Amino acid sequence: MALLPANPQWRSLVLLAIIIVVLGVLPWTVNNYWLRIATGALMWAGLACSWNMLGGYAGYINFGQSAFFGLGAYVTAFLMSDPFGLAFPVTIPAGMVVTALCAVIIGAPTLRLRGAYFAIATWAFAEVLIQFSSAMDFTGGIGGIGLPPYLNERFFYFAMFGAAALTYLLTWALFERSRFGLKVKALRDHEPAAEAMGINTALVKLQTFVLSAVTASVFGAIFAYWVTFINPKSVFGGDITDQMVVMVLLGGLGTLWGPAIGGVALFGVNRLIWMYWGDTAFYIAILGTAIVLVVLFLPNGIAGLFERRKQNALDKVLDKLVGSGEGGHP
Amino acid sequence: MSGGMQPAADPILSVRGLFKHFGGIKAANGVELAVGRHEIAGLIGPNGCGKSTLFSLVSGAVMPDKGEICFDGRAVGGMSAHRIARLGLARTFQIPALFDNMTVTENLLAAAAEGHWRGASERAAETLSLLKLEHVADNRASDLSGGQQKLLEFGRAVVRQASLILLDEVTAGVHPNIRKIILEAIARLREQGVSFLVIEHDMEMVRNVCDRIIVMDSGRVVTSGAFEDIVRNSEVMQTYLGHPQ
Ligand SMILES: Nc1ncnc2c1ncn2[C@@H]1O[C@H](COP(=O)(O)OP(=O)(O)OP(=O)(O)O)[C@@H](O)[C@H]1O
Ligand SMILES: [Mg+2]
Repeated sequence: MALLPANPQWRSLVLLAIIIVVLGVLPWTVNNYWLRIATGALMWAGLACSWNMLGGYAGYINFGQSAFFGLGAYVTAFLMSDPFGLAFPVTIPAGMVVTALCAVIIGAPTLRLRGAYFAIATWAFAEVLIQFSSAMDFTGGIGGIGLPPYLNERFFYFAMFGAAALTYLLTWALFERSRFGLKVKALRDHEPAAEAMGINTALVKLQTFVLSAVTASVFGAIFAYWVTFINPKSVFGGDITDQMVVMVLLGGLGTLWGPAIGGVALFGVNRLIWMYWGDTAFYIAILGTAIVLVVLFLPNGIAGLFERRKQNALDKVLDKLVGSGEGGHP
Repeated sequence: MSGGMQPAADPILSVRGLFKHFGGIKAANGVELAVGRHEIAGLIGPNGCGKSTLFSLVSGAVMPDKGEICFDGRAVGGMSAHRIARLGLARTFQIPALFDNMTVTENLLAAAAEGHWRGASERAAETLSLLKLEHVADNRASDLSGGQQKLLEFGRAVVRQASLILLDEVTAGVHPNIRKIILEAIARLREQGVSFLVIEHDMEMVRNVCDRIIVMDSGRVVTSGAFEDIVRNSEVMQTYLGHPQ
């Protein structure tokens, strides 16, 4: 890459500037079909990043992140349709508040326990929401809710772009460049030691979880308005969480750019398969195979291939999940 | 048993009637001890007598069954570990408990992250130079040698500006050069007013560093006093330290 400066910091900045410029002019250079794919890629990059906040940086596996994506989607759909008919922008903070409350209720008791309890609790929460939204009238039951259509692809592209950019900026500032990030990574690597240094690990985990959940809810809100129709499976479905997990593992657990790389790569594969074979279960098989390959051959993900300093966040996450190592609880 | 010299009237740490049983194992079985301000107290005793457990109890990592723990004038029994730590207590782990995926510098910064954050990076740099770890500052903690890991474990306690530091066998199995660095650092911190409770198996180190020795056996303190008094008592030496004079 002779065109790029040698200094790694400058090189990242130049790369970042190129990406931003390309993403900024994209809506005027491609047709709506490709623009929709780009919008989806940005959404998945953002969602993967939201999952990585807790899963990668703190080491706690959330198997129910779709719950928060879906809460954002349902709150927006509910408030925008009759009888409320609220404007889209005001529904986003409403979804964030509902999501934050739910995350506190789920996280406060379970994040104190071994990671497996938290994983099961989050998974169960997403399942409960599927059943609940399928059964209730105000959520439209299995049929779901339709939203007032707004057929402006560029608007949704920039909404996803803005949300994703904010998500990555926040992640960089908070987890890579601040005291808070040090505390989060410390508790991932050794929880009793972090406590011994004065870090309130239960609180830091809860804060990270709420942040991660609220971020996912914003993408859910934009998604609902974008697709103009949602139902329980389409926003709470377990496959949504599965994809986030695989994207992060593939891209690089606990890294800034890993989720973006994994998100774009996997969503690209998803669209390719869809183009050639339509809606098939083939994609699920690819997801499963990707997990196995990553765990076996690429524990640091794609981003790990470029890192000077190798980390192994996966070890710590597995420790927390099964409680075999020092990363667990005293 | 020899009463020996006792710490001053206003100890920084005092433990009374402390019990902790793990199933049938009586790891703490009525521990009584005190550490004076500016004192370096040595804690010795055979393997499995409950020394490390005492550290875990005092630092809040393990909850006591019963008993009183008073740190710096405050009852801390039953308090969570991070709250006790914020009161000014630091401890090291017998098996280094480093933040493996973080660099040496990041380990020190994380240790300093609660409390006096202002000036934390200067203190991290000072600690690096005090412990002669500058050349590995950007290395991942898990890539360090065993001795360097012990140094970093010690460094994380130092950087926190604690008033009492509990050291659990920090010099066990390290090269004499690293041991020397640690001993010099302890001496310097003591001059600055830091108190220490030091678990140590090496009698040479205990003699050189500690003002007073506390001897434990089977979950309780059996005696305490000056090194010479303890050594003179050959019964103690034989029973608890396993090598008569
Ligand atoms: N979490 C625990 N669960 C069960 N038993 C424990 C636990 N922690 C310590 N013990 C037991 O308590 C006793 C005291 O252990 P401790 O580690 O305090 O000894 P020690 O004096 O530090 O020994 P050493 O000199 O070998 O480090 C041992 O029998 C140990 O097996
Ligand atoms: Mg021990």
